[in-house]
Amino acid sequence: MTFLDVVTRSLKRRPIRTGLTLLGISVGIAAVVALIGLSRGLVSSWTAGMKSRGTDIVVNNMRGSLTPKPFPASTRDRVANLPGVAATCMILVDLMSIETAELMIVSGREWGCFAWENLKLVSGRMPNDANERAVVLGTTAADILKKKVGDTVQIETEELAVVGIVNGEAFVENGSLILSLPLLQQLTGNQNQISAIDVRVVPGTDIQRVCAEINRVVPEARADPAGEHIASSEGYRVINAMSWGTSLLAVLVGVLGVTNTMLMSVYERRQEIAILLAVGWKRSRIVRMILWESALLGFFGGVIGVVLGIIGVEILKHAPALRGMLEPDLRINLMLEAVAIAVIVGVLSGLYPAWRSSRVAPSLALHG
Amino acid sequence: MCHAVFSFAVNSDSPDLKQTASPYVFEATALKKDFDDGQVQALRGVDFKIADGEFLAIVGPSGSGKTTLLQILGALDRPSTGTLKYKGQSLLDLPDPASYRAHEIGFVFQAFHLLPTFTAVENVEIPMFEDHTSRVERKARAIELLRSVELEQRVNHFPAKLSGGERQRVAIARSLANSPSVLLADEPTGNLDSASAKHVLDLLTSLHRDRRMTLILVTHDMSVAGRASRALQMRDGRVVFDGDPATISGHN
Repeated sequence: MTFLDVVTRSLKRRPIRTGLTLLGISVGIAAVVALIGLSRGLVSSWTAGMKSRGTDIVVNNMRGSLTPKPFPASTRDRVANLPGVAATCMILVDLMSIETAELMIVSGREWGCFAWENLKLVSGRMPNDANERAVVLGTTAADILKKKVGDTVQIETEELAVVGIVNGEAFVENGSLILSLPLLQQLTGNQNQISAIDVRVVPGTDIQRVCAEINRVVPEARADPAGEHIASSEGYRVINAMSWGTSLLAVLVGVLGVTNTMLMSVYERRQEIAILLAVGWKRSRIVRMILWESALLGFFGGVIGVVLGIIGVEILKHAPALRGMLEPDLRINLMLEAVAIAVIVGVLSGLYPAWRSSRVAPSLALHG
Repeated sequence: MCHAVFSFAVNSDSPDLKQTASPYVFEATALKKDFDDGQVQALRGVDFKIADGEFLAIVGPSGSGKTTLLQILGALDRPSTGTLKYKGQSLLDLPDPASYRAHEIGFVFQAFHLLPTFTAVENVEIPMFEDHTSRVERKARAIELLRSVELEQRVNHFPAKLSGGERQRVAIARSLANSPSVLLADEPTGNLDSASAKHVLDLLTSLHRDRRMTLILVTHDMSVAGRASRALQMRDGRVVFDGDPATISGHN
């Protein structure tokens, strides 16, 4: 028998209580995995979208929102002429309610710019020119809207022909409705307005240096390396903070659950602890036993929580409000972080019960 | 304000205690123990000496202080005032009573106090965790101890599957786990039928005899006390008789 056997045997003694405590902590960890996974997925999905378009820098006006605010299209000229800039593409992007879908990404792109190059036709064709009243749908968007080539899709008040289904090789691209920039400007009443400029730099150019230069000449917007523009936006920070806040609240409930369980356990086992002291166990070993028990609760609660979190994310990402907009980022490091949080939570939850256990009088062993 | 001089000395096994040549395992002088800020006086000045290898019975009615005395001898509690020496050496405020309990003392309780979720052999292994022995050594020694109390057929039984007498024999095996010098037994036959009680008493007596252990046994049963070579009779926190248990009735 090892010391770990002693610890686990104590947890098995009250299986229902141990199970409920595990459930409590696992719900908190599931919230961490689901919310942080979605939050990080927002960044990784957009970053992947940018990479698939070959964009190095995004110039936009995100400020406090998740979608960039429009600014004059003439800004592009100041960016395009900077040294190190190889190509630019004006974009107008918005989140819009499209027919039965609550929120869809609608992306108007400067006709003929590099942001069209990554789109691979799955069926149909690309629009013939910038003025054709037509749209191509990413594969996921077509699936969500249940559209095929030859159908029409209503954007704002106009019915546009679906002329093609495209694979953009990124979750965000595939979840988008893509049309020419002038058409979207006209449909949304944003004539001569754009919300982003995608920039490709000359190979070998220092991207940070180009960003700094753009920020100098275009103070009304902000240039960031592709992907970072989401992470550095206030909107994302708010979402991230809310995700962590909600998660930590859930984890706090788990902490209270473990603390309560361990306190009850210590209270119930006072005489047993006294017996262990009477047969020669040091108080430090008793403390270690309680801390190991709570750490194990945290560990197993964390593992279960990760599984529940993954299931939760699978459900959430199919929710109407999120479908096609982001791919949750459930990399192994998030799961390890979640389990580590759970173990730390377990140990912290066990500190007070462990201290209480160290106060048990060994003379209790001779009572009863 | 009085301070207890709670002194222990030694056995070679205990890292906190040093070897001395005293013929006594315990020497108590004016031991007092108060509870509830002095409202309850469990011990009111107790003096005695217990020789190494002696079999001593502590008898007396409930509330006479015998269990309190056993607790103090086993370092489960501390006296309010007085001096207690262990094997002649005085140590003020033993820094680690756990070490003394682990290596010098073995406890046998009236209610056995086996841990219910551990098998017989695991219960016997429990005290060995502080001894830095390997898992294999612990198990081998525990099985050997269970064999010595004739329970080799019950090593993997949980306490709930053992009779009262068997549980107490497991408890005795556990008390011997770290080869203590002194066995402290609190009403060891109190929860047993007469046949099991006899078996347990025979076992304790043979341990005392064969291992030359000091055996201190608390009981209210004079037939049990009669097995001892000496008895301390306690009443109201004082020793009222110290001598041959056969002559104790005249002092009741």
